[in-house]
Amino acid sequence: MPTFVYMTSCDGCGECVDICPSDIMHIDPHHRRAYNIEPHFCWECYSCVKACPQNAIDVRGYSEFAPLGHSVRVLREEEKFTISWKIKFRDGREKNFVSPIRTTPWGSIKSASDYEAPSQEALNSQELAHEPDGLNIDELPALSRDQLKLGVV
Amino acid sequence: MLTSNPFAELAVFLPPIAMQVYIILMIVAVVIGTVWDMLHKSSGQYFTQRQEKAKAAATTELSGADKASLAIRTIAVDVATAGEFCNVQRRISHVLMFYGFIFYLVMTIVMVFSYPTNATPTPAMIPLLWNIGVIMLLIGGYWFFLFLRVNVAKDGQAVFRLVPADLFIVTLLGSASFAFIWEIVQTTGNLAATKIVFGLYILFTTLLFGSVRWSKLAHMFFKPVVAFQRRVEEASGASSLPAPAPSSERS
Repeated sequence: MPTFVYMTSCDGCGECVDICPSDIMHIDPHHRRAYNIEPHFCWECYSCVKACPQNAIDVRGYSEFAPLGHSVRVLREEEKFTISWKIKFRDGREKNFVSPIRTTPWGSIKSASDYEAPSQEALNSQELAHEPDGLNIDELPALSRDQLKLGVV
Repeated sequence: MLTSNPFAELAVFLPPIAMQVYIILMIVAVVIGTVWDMLHKSSGQYFTQRQEKAKAAATTELSGADKASLAIRTIAVDVATAGEFCNVQRRISHVLMFYGFIFYLVMTIVMVFSYPTNATPTPAMIPLLWNIGVIMLLIGGYWFFLFLRVNVAKDGQAVFRLVPADLFIVTLLGSASFAFIWEIVQTTGNLAATKIVFGLYILFTTLLFGSVRWSKLAHMFFKPVVAFQRRVEEASGASSLPAPAPSSERS
């Protein structure tokens, strides 16, 4: 189910624009508020829903199984490390869920731009950026040449 | 310069009554623009529906004292200190612009109506507050315009690529900037240059107050009402948001 923005609650901070992996959260040129430019391309990861400090982004159900009258609302509480979901069905039933959103302090994860640019040697290596340090291990497991066999074993 | 009334010097080429009529016309323009905007967007109708919906969904009835307390909190947090902004820089910039604009506006009205010429000496505090207001407005405004606009900071748009949402900030900055430049130019005694810069000041000020229907100037009136309504909904249990989590889920 794709996301949408309550324009009256959005304060135009741009957190959703930063976090959207599909790059479909953009800023409306008339009101300078966020909006989902293409719900069909939404991965439904809900990163924007969880990232919005104003609780201004919600989930729009597909009409086939979530017809008019339903609502899905989200409350993020950074200080409690929780995200709460309130699902309201068309017949009035309600379901409430509380989940831990993360286990480390808010803002403690470094963004890509906080890391140093990789050297040419690092770019030529088989490892991905910041491996193995970023994985908190000394070395990535790898097969040695003598462990490799030709053909089907 | 900071403590002299720039509007009193205008009498050299503009009768005081002209500036007074202009201000009244601008007030009328703001009223018309706000009403037009409300009718066009049906925001009054939408707000009434929201109020009725919230009343029906309320689980507790709020007393008059509760509502008064919410109103005070709305004024103290949402209006006076721009509490809705989660970004600290935007909050500071907005507070600078908000108070700067109020000083700029109120002191302009006081000087034009109460001290229109040098025949009635202006207390130094009034032009000083006008200048402080203009400077606050320029600091907060240019900070916002150059660095904090979300379409520039987060959406990667060029700083000088203007969009309809920029109408308010551009006309506001144009008005304050040319007001300040006009005041400086006027002290040099060059009448031709003064007239040109004053003309630009009037042009941007007219655009600012005449474009309310298309700009976001009217948010000064709408925002506090909506913020109060949101607080009422939260307090009466009518908010559609989930209830706060009982305790920390962190392991």
